[in-house]
Amino acid sequence: MTRGAPTVGVVKFASCDGCQLSLLDLEDHLLEITGTFDIVEFAEATSRRSPGPYDVLLVEGSVSTEEQAAEILELRAQARTLVTIGACATAGGIQALRNWADHDEYRRAVYAHPEYVASLATSTPVSSHVRVDAELHGCPIDRGELLELLSALAVGRRPQIREDAVCLACKRRGVVCVTVARGIPCLGPVTNAGCGAICPAMDRGCYGCFGPRPEANMPSLTGSFLASGGTRADVARLFEGFTAYAEPFRTTVSDLRGRGPEEDADAQQ
Amino acid sequence: MHSSDEYAERDIDISMLTRVEGEGSLRLRMRDGVVESARLSIFEAPRYFEKLVEGRKPDEVIDIVARICGICPVAYQMSAVHAFEDCFGVEVEDGVRALRRLMYCGEWIESHALHVYLLHAPDFLGYASAVEMAEDHADIVGRGLQLKRLGNDILALLGGRAIHPVSVRVGGFSRVPRRGELDALRHMLDHAVEWSAETLDWVSTLDAPAFERDVELVSLVHPHEYPMNHGRIVSTRGIDVATGAWRDAFEESQVPDTNALHARTRSGTTYLVGPAARVTQCADRLHPRAGAALRQSGLGGAIAANPYWSIAARAVELLHASSEAVDILDAYTRPDVASVAWEPRAGVAAWSTEAPRGLLFHRYEVDASGFVRAAQIVPPTSQNQGRIEDDLVAFTPTMRDASDAELTHGLEQLVRSYDPCISCATHFLDVEIEEVP
Amino acid sequence: MSEAGQGHRYFLARHRLADLIDVLRGAGGRARTVIGPTVEQGAIVYAEIDTAADLPVGWRDEQAPGHYRLRREGDERAFAYAVGPTAWKRHLFPPARVRMEVAAEPGADGTRFEPTQPAASATVLLGARGCELAAMRVQDRVFRGGPYVDDHYADARDAAFVVAVQCTHPASTCFCTSMRSGPGVEAGYDLRLTEIADGFVVEAGTDAGGEVLVSLRLDPADEERAGEAHAAVAACAETVTHRNRGVDPIRARDLDMYPEHPRWDEVAARCLACTNCTMVCPTCFCSRDVQQSVLARPDGTVERQWDSCFTAEFAAVAGGSFRSRIRDRYRQWLTHKFSTWWPQFGTPGCVGCGRCIVWCPVEIDVREEIAAIGTSAPESDAQDGGERRGDVDLGPQALTTSPGGVPEPPPRTGTVERVTTETSDTVTLRVRTPPGLEAQPGQFVLAAVPRVGAPPISVSRLEPGTLELTVRSVGPATAALCRLGPGDPLGLAGAYGRGWPIEAARGNDVIVVAGGIGLAPLRPVIDAVLADRDSYGDVSVYVGARTPDDMIYSAEIGTWEQRRDVTAARIVDRAGPDWLGPVGVVTQLFADTAREAASTVAFVCGPERMMQASVDALVDSGMRAESIWLTTERHMECGVGLCGHCQLGPYFVCRDGPVFTAAELGPYLGVEGI
Repeated sequence: MTRGAPTVGVVKFASCDGCQLSLLDLEDHLLEITGTFDIVEFAEATSRRSPGPYDVLLVEGSVSTEEQAAEILELRAQARTLVTIGACATAGGIQALRNWADHDEYRRAVYAHPEYVASLATSTPVSSHVRVDAELHGCPIDRGELLELLSALAVGRRPQIREDAVCLACKRRGVVCVTVARGIPCLGPVTNAGCGAICPAMDRGCYGCFGPRPEANMPSLTGSFLASGGTRADVARLFEGFTAYAEPFRTTVSDLRGRGPEEDADAQQ
Repeated sequence: MHSSDEYAERDIDISMLTRVEGEGSLRLRMRDGVVESARLSIFEAPRYFEKLVEGRKPDEVIDIVARICGICPVAYQMSAVHAFEDCFGVEVEDGVRALRRLMYCGEWIESHALHVYLLHAPDFLGYASAVEMAEDHADIVGRGLQLKRLGNDILALLGGRAIHPVSVRVGGFSRVPRRGELDALRHMLDHAVEWSAETLDWVSTLDAPAFERDVELVSLVHPHEYPMNHGRIVSTRGIDVATGAWRDAFEESQVPDTNALHARTRSGTTYLVGPAARVTQCADRLHPRAGAALRQSGLGGAIAANPYWSIAARAVELLHASSEAVDILDAYTRPDVASVAWEPRAGVAAWSTEAPRGLLFHRYEVDASGFVRAAQIVPPTSQNQGRIEDDLVAFTPTMRDASDAELTHGLEQLVRSYDPCISCATHFLDVEIEEVP
Repeated sequence: MSEAGQGHRYFLARHRLADLIDVLRGAGGRARTVIGPTVEQGAIVYAEIDTAADLPVGWRDEQAPGHYRLRREGDERAFAYAVGPTAWKRHLFPPARVRMEVAAEPGADGTRFEPTQPAASATVLLGARGCELAAMRVQDRVFRGGPYVDDHYADARDAAFVVAVQCTHPASTCFCTSMRSGPGVEAGYDLRLTEIADGFVVEAGTDAGGEVLVSLRLDPADEERAGEAHAAVAACAETVTHRNRGVDPIRARDLDMYPEHPRWDEVAARCLACTNCTMVCPTCFCSRDVQQSVLARPDGTVERQWDSCFTAEFAAVAGGSFRSRIRDRYRQWLTHKFSTWWPQFGTPGCVGCGRCIVWCPVEIDVREEIAAIGTSAPESDAQDGGERRGDVDLGPQALTTSPGGVPEPPPRTGTVERVTTETSDTVTLRVRTPPGLEAQPGQFVLAAVPRVGAPPISVSRLEPGTLELTVRSVGPATAALCRLGPGDPLGLAGAYGRGWPIEAARGNDVIVVAGGIGLAPLRPVIDAVLADRDSYGDVSVYVGARTPDDMIYSAEIGTWEQRRDVTAARIVDRAGPDWLGPVGVVTQLFADTAREAASTVAFVCGPERMMQASVDALVDSGMRAESIWLTTERHMECGVGLCGHCQLGPYFVCRDGPVFTAAELGPYLGVEGI
């Protein structure tokens, strides 16, 4: 580590650890990364700890307990640049599906053992709680995009991380469209690229783990799935994945299911 | 120097365990040198996976349960896919069966290299992290990273990416590689074998605390192969049940102050799963190269009795997994079809496979359309947790003259030697809640 | 039948296809890679072919909007299919290639910009269809027809041996006959094959092709076989023509005249903006230049990657996108293909292969869209009087690299001599120019910071040996430029574009109207006019800014205001505490003055809305749109019109502008989403 190198913290909330593991999965660059940045907090990898401040804070995981909701506020105050990494932190993760669970039944279940379990009724992205400076999408994030983010920070470049459709990467890679050639439903047209189109390359449809593109044309794509013979529940399940709580997937799921998530139910009361 | 009086009453509180997967803490209360309580707490937020898979179809479940753990997603996919295939009577092609073992080899290599080199070895050599260790031992850390990378390369080749791979489907894979796609990897795997052998030589030179205890070891045992996806659940004290019949021999209960469930044998005792259990019970089914290396190291007995020597068990399994990966690649012919057709069937889908950290049990109740109606997932760390606490209680008196800092370090190192995956251990609660009237 | 093949038709028996491939791979002692059709991923794609067994023998395709399926017919035909998802551009203009290597060690010597040299290996393109050869001719015009050429493309094209196959099995989505690109093949091949029942009729189109035939020792094709081949292609043509009776690409040339047609909204509601149509299109050529570097390493690369006009960032500049809605992007794509491609390249951008129809996941069919918009448009919607550009031959036109065409030059290293702070976010860099860099007022350079970017910056002062660049920090690359200090190196490519017509303005009254940083590209005009003051009539300079603090060159404006031979005035939107001047919009400074239409020239630069208001005010005061010159902004990526980003109607702003007359920009100024 160079003296005066930017300090980096890696922290997590509700998640599987896979996104922070992506940093350790940059095996060929790991020692170069620690030579460029001073990693002062990364509990999975080092016993050295730091409460901040951090030049760059990478946050994995969704906010799903009262303690986490308080902690993210403190971390935000310590972070010059706060980057959320992965579907949990950017979209609430797979666990955000509980946001659609029946409110009363859910609460009853939790209060059956209130002394053991501290969890909020919802799992929400970090951006619902604090300002976020940059996001890396994906479940998990792509380690190449993580390296690009760190490289861009190192030289002051805009990270080459764009909100193109998966289709663009898919066609660049020379993969044949699985929807057109095989009739497989694929979320590629409405999903952020970044993964390298691995699902179509593996002969299956994209399941949206890099989250919806901001301009995703949901009515057109869901209309086409329904016209191909899928039931509303079948089509809903396509979007009930790792980024279901991110708009516009969220509204699409609620429309297809005929009920909204927890947050919406509260708002209506 | 301290007088021992000062230690009449001691609390050791490690509020955040580092170099483990997930977030947990350790609280130990001692009086007069005797440990009153040891509590490994998990404050990883619950994510309710058993509820999340309800109403989903088998292939969706395979995608979802991978997210329980970013370090061993393949293990979750393997237990789930074998459970469903067993329930539906699906017979996969031999080539697919071999590729699934290859995939597990990849995950074992990745996970074990991570643990041996980045998480555990710094304890033995007195560093806070592998990065700091690299300042003095660049070649050793570099070897660990290269080995880890090759594990990831196997996973990416078969599954599209190393973390949460996408190709595992009921009936086989969504896609299987062409022979030519394996060439680059095959060439590199010779290095993996070499580096794994060096790993075992190297860990054999480390100093581990002298701490031995008698423990029931549990793993799959298969008549012909080192256990991964098939075998019976067998223990060193006489348990022997079918791979799907975990509940016949074990049960789990929720423990106060944690978000996880602890498993016990039906007779209420703690037990240990993982590399030490596998190596001890299945040493004669290791790849000949790994078996020979184990014998030569002379560490077989220490692996069974001393938790710190689990690092050697992982090294042995690194050598096994890289050697078996070479054999699978050399024998590979592309299966005619990536996936065979199947029809759902109502029933109970239950199966166990060997995750890097040990036995991983899945059980799904499935309806006639293939939708999951209820689920139970028992990961290795929740099976080991009771045993870890027992070991902490037994170990602490051996360090009664140590300072708090030294004791803390010793306890942390002991906890880390089990490679606990706390992210895994926290996803059960909902089932328990649902069963409360 | 083309001239080269006439009278020299040979017969290749089916079992000798393997021999043909062997000869192609090693013909004339040269090892060639054969790229051809093969079945993969459920489609017939183009990939490397080792033997005849790799060809799609016995396969048929079934294509419809949003639908492609293969089925095994089981016969021996190898080419009984219509074009699949791969276009040959993948091999001539690959999805990604390193364009330049860069380095940023400290000191001017360490700043390096090195273009990669083309090194295409000999390749056989086996199975190219008529529409695909037409597409190659279209891309030839794009990549090697202008003053700057893509030398990698040209090299790959020259290294390609083309084995064309005439179509006999069209898909329902083919409309080659409407675009006059097929199903037969008339030019541009080395060998031409037509598949018949027991083999192939083969003709050579070049000497290289002839050599292959000689080494195969083929017999001439008899009359019967020649007739069978001819009839098969003719029947194919008839089928395609019959299916596409309503498709009229000539009519479609008017598409850009109906920017507000309601059909654009209807198609935008369906369009996913997924980019599939542009990726599979054999003529789409847009690209982006991606800066690549690893962590703190001093070296890096610039990679050129396929891009698409459907992406959010394609038409984005600091502050927003010119085409923010899917509607804007679909309209851009379709009007470009059928309409604005004509003035740019002299052909349509569509060859009728139908790929965009088949591979659209939501089944949008361009034939229906051009029919709906081109034939049902209300006359009153037309933006243009109907006077279209002259007719252009649609037939095959060979094109080699245009005379004088040169590869895009890399940036050359200049040195910062002085930095002047203009406002809180804007500086002026005085740069010692590298030898050979010449600029005219109104032109721009790409100012390159290795590993970070190369934003286009207008030249704001020209003196012998130096130029000035006024840079506002709006993103990381401009911020990096603003951080430079005296002695620092920076890369300069250019100067590019059409500048201000200062010489032509001699003898006229000159009006300069600037808004904000828009004064920067106008300052060389003022410098030139004042340096030769007697050659011009009345000279007026009007400057507007948001606030007094946002006004660049404030002291210099003061010296113009002092001069008796210049009318100069400034105005701000919002006054500050020390502001004593007028408050309002810049047009207030000159709207009331009557102009002599024949002898006044205006130069205007600023935000688009301000330029539009200025043009309106000047026209109202008697000026002609032809005498009002504007400089406009678009997303400029490559600087020379090859990357496609800077399009504005029929223009490439980089190449045809950035300076235009208000008359030229008339139909586009102020139209949202163009």
